[in-house]
Amino acid sequence: MFKAVLNNRSAEPKNIRWFYDQYAPMLLGYINGIVQNPQKSEDHLVAILTSFVKDVVVSPEKNRLNMWLELRQYAQSKLTLYTAKDHPSNHNQSVPKGGLDVLDDLQKRIFCAVYYHGKSIQYLATTIGCDESEIRNQLKLSIDKMRRASGN
Amino acid sequence: MEINKIIESGLMETYVMGIATEEEVQKVLSLKKEYPAFKAALEQLEYDMEVLAQNMSIEPPAGTLAKIEQEINEIQRQNQAVQNNFNSEYSYDKNHQENKREKYIEVESESNQMRVNKAWKWVFVAVFVLGKIFLAFAIYFYLENRQIKEQIKELKIELKQKNR
Repeated sequence: MFKAVLNNRSAEPKNIRWFYDQYAPMLLGYINGIVQNPQKSEDHLVAILTSFVKDVVVSPEKNRLNMWLELRQYAQSKLTLYTAKDHPSNHNQSVPKGGLDVLDDLQKRIFCAVYYHGKSIQYLATTIGCDESEIRNQLKLSIDKMRRASGN
Repeated sequence: MEINKIIESGLMETYVMGIATEEEVQKVLSLKKEYPAFKAALEQLEYDMEVLAQNMSIEPPAGTLAKIEQEINEIQRQNQAVQNNFNSEYSYDKNHQENKREKYIEVESESNQMRVNKAWKWVFVAVFVLGKIFLAFAIYFYLENRQIKEQIKELKIELKQKNR
């Protein structure tokens, strides 16, 4: 126990502020996509950012692309109560504005199941009733559509 | 040509979405090292995923940063307190043991005292009083016995004198 406490790394306040400005709005949007409750999402945002800053060294020098991916997966692992809940890619859920409107129902369902709930290709193939290559293809198509829609 | 096919296969998307199998992750990492085109495409995809997340972002309410900073400070303060406490306890124990070792010879000893229930006090008083009574009786009967023996002795002497 003491070893764990003594090994705890403390973050610089300016790094915390930089990290917050950079990722808090994205993370809140992501959490709200999973939790579907603004008040609970804000509570989870505080808890997740606090523990992430405590557990992981955050600084502007660190590779920014990996940082968001790492943070997203960290958040997903902290929200297992919601992600493990048996709602196989609920496509009727309200998701934050931006991007998803360009997807058709199947693509939205697949994207949300993977992005918000971390469902595997194999799981989705079984649930939806098509083969894995089709799921993989639909996932790629949905990401491509959203990238194009956002001008990339 | 081959690498373009891999880029279009959806492998990168699976990796970036965090649902790639261990085998797929290893493949992506080795392709990233081997092919600059794959590396560039992967980095572009990672960047675009961040842009997508920015498009879906929600501005946190005012005061959220203060809450986070407060929580982090609280955790750091608690950790500091635990650490200080641990250090002081550890150094006290160490010094105390060293001092003890220097001043005294370590002897394994057992206490001579014993704990007894208070109720036993009255039993001990009763035993003491009875002991005194028995002692008084013993002395009394001893003296009585000695007196009787002397009387018998005198009677015997008297009888002998009468018989003569």
